[in-house]
Amino acid sequence: MAGLFMNMMKEEWRIHSTMFGSLNFALFPVMICAIAFMGTFLLPLIQASMPIGDLVILIHAQYLMLGFMVGAFGLLGNEVMNRRFGQASLLAFSARTLPMSPRNIFTIFVLKDTLYYFFLWIFPLGAGFLIGSLFTGIPFFYTLNILLTLTLSFLTGMSVVFFLSSLYQRSVKALFSFLIFTGLVFLGWFMLTGTNPATLFPPLILFYQFSWHLLLGSVMVVLVPCCIALFLFSPDIQSGTKNYPNRMKPLIRHLNRFPNPPLAAKDVIDLWRSGSIVGQTIFSFLVPLIIIWFFLSLLDEYVSTIHLLLTFAMITGIIASTMYTWLCMFDSFSVYALLPLHVRDVITSKITSFTLLQVIPVFFMGVITLLSGQGEFLLPVLVLTLSVSYYVLAVSIWLTGLSPSVLVYDVRVMVQYFLLIGIALSICGSLTSINPWFGLAGVGLFIPAFLLVRLGMRKWAREEVVGY
Amino acid sequence: MAYIIETESLTKKFGDLAAVNTVTLNVRKGSLFGLLGPNGSGKTTMIKMLTGQILPSSGNAHVLGLDVATDPVGIRTLVGIIPEQESPPSFLTAMEYLEFIGDIRKIPDLEQKADWWFDFLEYGDKRNVLCKDLSRGTRQKLMLTQAFIHDPELALIDEPLINFDPIMQEKVKGFFVSYTKQGNTLFISTHLLETAEEICSEVAILHLGNLLYTGTMESVREGGRHLSDLFLSLVRK
Repeated sequence: MAGLFMNMMKEEWRIHSTMFGSLNFALFPVMICAIAFMGTFLLPLIQASMPIGDLVILIHAQYLMLGFMVGAFGLLGNEVMNRRFGQASLLAFSARTLPMSPRNIFTIFVLKDTLYYFFLWIFPLGAGFLIGSLFTGIPFFYTLNILLTLTLSFLTGMSVVFFLSSLYQRSVKALFSFLIFTGLVFLGWFMLTGTNPATLFPPLILFYQFSWHLLLGSVMVVLVPCCIALFLFSPDIQSGTKNYPNRMKPLIRHLNRFPNPPLAAKDVIDLWRSGSIVGQTIFSFLVPLIIIWFFLSLLDEYVSTIHLLLTFAMITGIIASTMYTWLCMFDSFSVYALLPLHVRDVITSKITSFTLLQVIPVFFMGVITLLSGQGEFLLPVLVLTLSVSYYVLAVSIWLTGLSPSVLVYDVRVMVQYFLLIGIALSICGSLTSINPWFGLAGVGLFIPAFLLVRLGMRKWAREEVVGY
Repeated sequence: MAYIIETESLTKKFGDLAAVNTVTLNVRKGSLFGLLGPNGSGKTTMIKMLTGQILPSSGNAHVLGLDVATDPVGIRTLVGIIPEQESPPSFLTAMEYLEFIGDIRKIPDLEQKADWWFDFLEYGDKRNVLCKDLSRGTRQKLMLTQAFIHDPELALIDEPLINFDPIMQEKVKGFFVSYTKQGNTLFISTHLLETAEEICSEVAILHLGNLLYTGTMESVREGGRHLSDLFLSLVRK
């Protein structure tokens, strides 16, 4: 098992390093560490405008969300075990010729991914903060404690989504029953005690009152859902012969006003039949955003509801932009390279499909705006959500072409990605802090978005698509 | 002499490695051309360049009179291609994949043509099965169908028979021969020498990216020589 684990680690490294070079991949965690290091020096400035407790909540929420975003292993299980994961053949498939159970192989795969994410994101951020604390006089125990609780936040998010996505793969009814039951428990708690359920988050409690019992409890909150998820995993390794109704022709007819209807139809079918449209919407969109909303609402003593809502609209826009990766995960350009198609045709079609998916964030933000009693600001909230979403999509297209989930780990790409998004969000955030209606100015982001897409199409037409 | 494929000093480098090295090659219209070579000789790279999937590092190539570097999409409009790895999209059924191809290529009477291919290659019972659930052989049949369903005058196929059983191999070889007899051209890459000797009218031998031989099957057979003798004598040098 140790041998397979080590080889899977090497495989993950090579997937990325063959795409953009070992150095650029290796520098990725160094960059995260550097950002955290520099961020430590900003803490006294941030503290002047935001209580440190709120900052702690926000950082834990971000780590929790990161865990949510990457934890849907339950949705990947069969893809990983069935040889073709996109266009790559993974070790997880070839390892099936070894005398090991598929569950053990899948467990190793999950462990490998967890460790990779830890070393790419969690450890460098904590290390940067740790080094920075030596210069800023922040107590050492405090930094060690936050490194521990942030790690637990990330692992909790990952573990919960792993459990939920595995439950979803087994039974959609069971998932919804579980979600309704959990929702009712939290609602009951809120009605009885009047406290926000987010305050029950174990890593946050641990941060404020460290004890070994609480630590053990937090670790159990990570381990128990993970073990249940692995128990629920059932690999569908036999080829099926199920017949499916023909959806291509009717979809092409329905989408005939879009550019390249067959490409958009293929995207829709891919998302539907893979279970991604429901699964990803729940696990990579709704669940993280609902939890983030709970955490943000802890700040309402200091920030007005409309400003929280506008911040949330920008976060939703960023999360909505990751729908582009949902669309690119099933194919690479090699599928289209046999056909009379340009790279720009495929990118245009992905944007079309992305546009169809934007109904989800629009509906979600509409509901959140109305529920929070800010209906009169519905227009700036929706404009801001969509503007940020399309802008970040354009940045992704320019920087990563049709391989967003792989090329994003190129350090050069990530630096540009952070910079371009950071600048845009700072401008939007500043404007909306003056007047919520200035959120309408978000439409201005469509201009750089349009230019970035044009540049991206030209850039990726020149680049040779490297397989991995 | 009408050449349907012409290359001049065609080269493709990946870093320091020349996968294809200054290859000059002409393929006559109506021929069944076999590009032979051991694994790693550059056959797949050659096909990828000729179909505009990758750009040459130097030299030039024209397919059906179009430049591979400046008009790759024009070439892919006219030719049929089967890549080395059969890769129809996982979540489409076989029929949906053909409709997808048909809509992009604007193929009239797609359903009749698809029916003919399902019938000819004996996989009509799999038309509504997802591509990811098809066996390798059936995927290869589907890829063969997509390459020929628009009646191209030139098809480029990488290892065309590798996943077929012997009965299907015979059937497909028969199709290839009749296809070229109608004036179409077929460019196949293979390391199966018996197959090449049986059906090809012209061959070229590629080894470590270098073109070692090109000629008609008649010239190969001069003096009672077999293709395998020629091949082994060249690549073992």
